[in-house]
This record gives sequence, structure tokens and C-alpha cells, in this order.
Amino acid sequence: MNDLSLWLTFLLIGLATTLPRAGFIVLGSRVVLPPTLQRALRYAPAAALAAIVVPDLLVVDGSVAVINAKLAGGIAAVGAALASRNPWLPFIAGMATLLALRHFAG
Amino acid sequence: MPQSATSALVAGAREGFAAFLPFSVGLVPWALVMGMAMTSAGFSPLEAMGMNLIVFAGTAQLGTLPLIAAQAPLWLIVVTALALNLRFVIFSAAIAPGFRGIGQPARWLCGHLLTDGVFATCAERMQQVDDTRWRLGYYLAPSLWSWLLWQSFTLLGIFAAGVVPRGWSLEFMATIALIVLLVPMARIRPMLVAAIAGGLAATLLRDLPLRLGTVVAIVIGIAAGFVAEHLEHRSRQS
Repeated sequence: MNDLSLWLTFLLIGLATTLPRAGFIVLGSRVVLPPTLQRALRYAPAAALAAIVVPDLLVVDGSVAVINAKLAGGIAAVGAALASRNPWLPFIAGMATLLALRHFAG
Repeated sequence: MPQSATSALVAGAREGFAAFLPFSVGLVPWALVMGMAMTSAGFSPLEAMGMNLIVFAGTAQLGTLPLIAAQAPLWLIVVTALALNLRFVIFSAAIAPGFRGIGQPARWLCGHLLTDGVFATCAERMQQVDDTRWRLGYYLAPSLWSWLLWQSFTLLGIFAAGVVPRGWSLEFMATIALIVLLVPMARIRPMLVAAIAGGLAATLLRDLPLRLGTVVAIVIGIAAGFVAEHLEHRSRQS
């Protein structure tokens, strides 16, 4: 791929990134979603975050594994987030659990 | 600009920044990984930073990188980028009411800066506040901060490629950051249902092409949360 077409590729990926994000924000009140749809969309963040996090915790090398170090680290992070308001504690608990289990598992 | 308008902007910015700060920890390893990945795909530092400035999207960048390196057809690269960004159509629609009263140029800027973390931080809060300036500040502080962090640490990653040992599993910090955002949401019952349904669906559908499984899982999660809300409502009435 030559230099020019590489930059053209960046530009098109940039459009494919900014347009979906800016679309409804820019259109604003000219395009109004029905109230029912808006209420349903309130569940989008929880659903999307879980859709990214859960496979990351459960899938090891392409298949589901219920016992693994990442899942243990994730559970530790959830526990820390529930138990304390300290914003850094989930990071410390999660990383420590992951690295300790990886270390002792060899 | 009147004094009160400026102070509302600053007050909003301060609160938005405080709400977002813990999440931004997770951006650091993610950006470092991005810089290293672009370097190992053969980009010069100028090309890597060029892509980072033009695109500004973790998943879309990481997802299209192998296709660019393999010289895949342009349409496939663009379609892949669109699929990876599809969740932002939902986010954009959900957060749009929070921008009532804000001008067009600012909306384009805000749209360009929209990320998962910024959405999760701002979507609910911006609906609850009336003051336009306060809302703009609440949105801009976390989004500009994450832009700055992203660009700086990607640059660091470009030059540090190969120095940070892979064994540290620093990318797991990004997963923890998403968990930190998810836990307080899931304290509300229908939200918890939405999260469990979305998470399990994404796990089961992970092999669908173009990461479409993620998009389908989000729709399933939303539907599950909506149904749970209705059932809860009905059982409370009877």
C-alpha cells in the first residue's frame, strides 16, 4: 500500500468512526426517537459494558473456561468495587489476583 | 460570557472530571498497547500518530490494523470499522437529549470525542441537569482528558514498543476499568438483568464475523432490561 492510499484509508476509517458517534448528537431534536425506544436505550451502557467484559473474563484461547485467572481477577475487582468507595482498590485487587494466580499456576 | 455561565461550565467540568478520573486509569495500558500494535504493523511514528489523531477509536483502530497490514480491499476495511463502531449509534442516540441547547460546532466536537467511558460517565447525569453550560462542561472535561491521555500514551507506546514485558498483562486494567463502571449501574435490578443477558449473549455469539456478536448481544441485553423493568412495574402494581 503506497503512502497516499494509507492516508486515504485512515481518513475513511475516521469517517466510519466519527459519523456513528456524532450522528444523533448533531441531529439532536430534528430527529426524535420515540420515548419507548429512549427508555429502552437507557439499558445500552450496562448491556454494552457487559458484552465487552464478560467474554473477556470467560473465554480463554477461544473456549469458555469457568475457572481461570482473569475471571478470578474480575470477581476480585467486583468485590472491591462493591465493598469500598476507594476508586483505585478494584484495580489493585484485580491485578494482584490475576498476577498472583498466573504466578502460582506457573 | 456572563460570570455565572462560566462558573457553571467550570462546576460541571470539575464534577465530570472527578466522576471520570478512576476510569481513565484503564485508558493508559490500552493506549500503550495501541501504540505498540501500530508500530509492529509497520507504521512509521508519523503514520501511527496520524491514524491516532484522525481515527481516535481503540477498537476500530485495533480491529482494522490487521486488515491494513494484509492489504485487504478498502471497502472491507471501512465496513469492518463501521461494524466496530455500531454501538456508538446507540450511545449517540441515548446521550443526544443531554445536548439540548448546545450549538452545532460543539456537537460535532463532542460527537468526535465520544468514547465508551465518556458515555458511561455522562449519559445519565446530563439528562438530569438543566443548565446548558454545566452539561457542556460535564461532558468536555472527561472527553478532552481522555483524548489527551490517549494521544500521549499512544505516542509513548509507539516509542516504547517492546520495552514493557507482555507478562505484566497490563491490558487487564482496561477490563477492570469497565467493571468499575458497570458495578454501580448493576445495583438497579433491570440494569443487572440487561448486563447479565448482554454479557452471556456476547460470550455465546463471540464467533460471529466482524464482531457482530457484540452488537446483537447489546440489543438482547437492552430487550432483557426493558422486559425486566415492565415485569417489576407490574408486580409492584398488583
